[in-house]
Amino acid sequence: MLKIQGLECGYGRMKVIDGVSLEIGNESVGLFGPNGAGKTTLINAVMGMNKPWKGSIELDGTSIVGFETHVMARKGVALVPQERELFPGMSVEDNLRLGAVYIPHAKDSIQEQMEAMFALFPILKERRKQLAGTMSGGQQRMVAIARALMSKPKLLILDEPSLGLQPSIVAEVFDVLKELKKTVSILVTEQNVRESLKSIDRGYVLENGKIVLEDTAKGLETNPHVLKSYLGL
Amino acid sequence: MNRNLSRIIALSAGAIAIALPLFAGDYPLQVARNVMMYMALAITWDMLLRSGQISFGIAGLFGLGAYAGILGMIRGGMPAWLSIPFAAFVAGFAAFLIGFMILRLRAMYFSIVTLALGEIFRIIIHNLHDFTGGPEGIVIQQGVIFGGSSSKLYWLTLGGLAVAIAASYWFEHSKIHFALTAIRNNETSAKSSGIDIFKWLLVAFVVTSAIQGLLGGIFVQSYGFATPETVFSADFTLLPLAMALLGGVYSTVGPIFGAILLGLVAEWLKLKIPYGHLVVYGIIIILVILFMPNGLLGRIRQTTGKRAGRTA
Repeated sequence: MLKIQGLECGYGRMKVIDGVSLEIGNESVGLFGPNGAGKTTLINAVMGMNKPWKGSIELDGTSIVGFETHVMARKGVALVPQERELFPGMSVEDNLRLGAVYIPHAKDSIQEQMEAMFALFPILKERRKQLAGTMSGGQQRMVAIARALMSKPKLLILDEPSLGLQPSIVAEVFDVLKELKKTVSILVTEQNVRESLKSIDRGYVLENGKIVLEDTAKGLETNPHVLKSYLGL
Repeated sequence: MNRNLSRIIALSAGAIAIALPLFAGDYPLQVARNVMMYMALAITWDMLLRSGQISFGIAGLFGLGAYAGILGMIRGGMPAWLSIPFAAFVAGFAAFLIGFMILRLRAMYFSIVTLALGEIFRIIIHNLHDFTGGPEGIVIQQGVIFGGSSSKLYWLTLGGLAVAIAASYWFEHSKIHFALTAIRNNETSAKSSGIDIFKWLLVAFVVTSAIQGLLGGIFVQSYGFATPETVFSADFTLLPLAMALLGGVYSTVGPIFGAILLGLVAEWLKLKIPYGHLVVYGIIIILVILFMPNGLLGRIRQTTGKRAGRTA
């Protein structure tokens, strides 16, 4: 589905991603790494927010380099950005609707999708009329994920979904991702490796802009580098 | 407020506005024309504001439309009625071309550039003496629309206002409402939701500019002349902005409220304090911004327990 090869990109003269290659099929893939490793930069390059300097990014065999973000969304790649990034002045319902209104393959089944989202996150049904900006951090994260799913994506990208959430909510978010991987491919970047390993099939470790490790979730769980650097063991 | 009651109020206000020339004299009609002109400009300013872009270019596009209309008529031999849509077309087309350059800018950078644009238009027109009449301006010697009949000119201005209200209503009740509100709220999420930010900003900029140009075209027909100092006057930027802020932004009703109140207060102040009315006017605006940041409509909605704007 998504294939990245020899990707290099950065800001100004500073190279942040240095020759990254990775692939995502019909599966859930984790991208781990410390702060500043380049996880968000990599996602931004896929979503057309950063222009790659070198390398290729392909979606279903077609190059997507140079595509703008809204085009990527219409091609079936949905992003849940870091820091929730909602429409705070809109109701929950309007936030969800906005996820589909401008997506050609999703705009005709908004109601049906919304019901599916309410089944996935029942709290959102109760709060459908509430302004999204007035909800708790965890609920806002749910709205952000639901909004992305409203676009019926084939690939869902989540940038640090656990950021700023209390542990019980983090577990809940990853439970949802575990459920979602049955129907959509997922790329999730995380620093919370322990929780996210439970919801992914495979993972990459990104450090200083380079992939230093690639393995299955089970393999990563027992890898000495991961154990030492990310699981504190 | 119940939807039926709102509809009844809107229809009654519309009926009174249409019938006003049948029972009002020239002076009230003149005041009403001014208020409607500023009201329409306030609405168009608010329409673009819904995307988060603050324009200070109203006077520039209004003046451009005014000159396009009058020059189309005098130099191009257009009939008076055609000069008005022509004014809208020129302002809209100019906005389309300029939009490609400036709609990547945000916040104060966009505001400053729009302010500069108005000044650029004014200087160009000021200096093209042979074509535009330069600083002395240009006068319609004959063929002014409706022979200058004040009631017909009133209805013409009302027509311009109706166009602004209809466009604003369309902005509020169509897909563009979602796009503009989303862009204002959060651009990253907006484009991640498939919204082509540039396209929708361009649509909003072109539509609002075309209406501002249309109003400029109506203005010169109403007064029969244009000078750079009159049609590019800062009043055409500042008063609509103040009216929208007073009434409440992000809606059609807010600027209407604000324009009626501030327009009438300004007129009354002009009679009471001919040389100091603008000072009082300024104080009113400062007080409103300090104590009612969401405008009158926001305050009313707050009091009645409703949130300001359909989606704030």
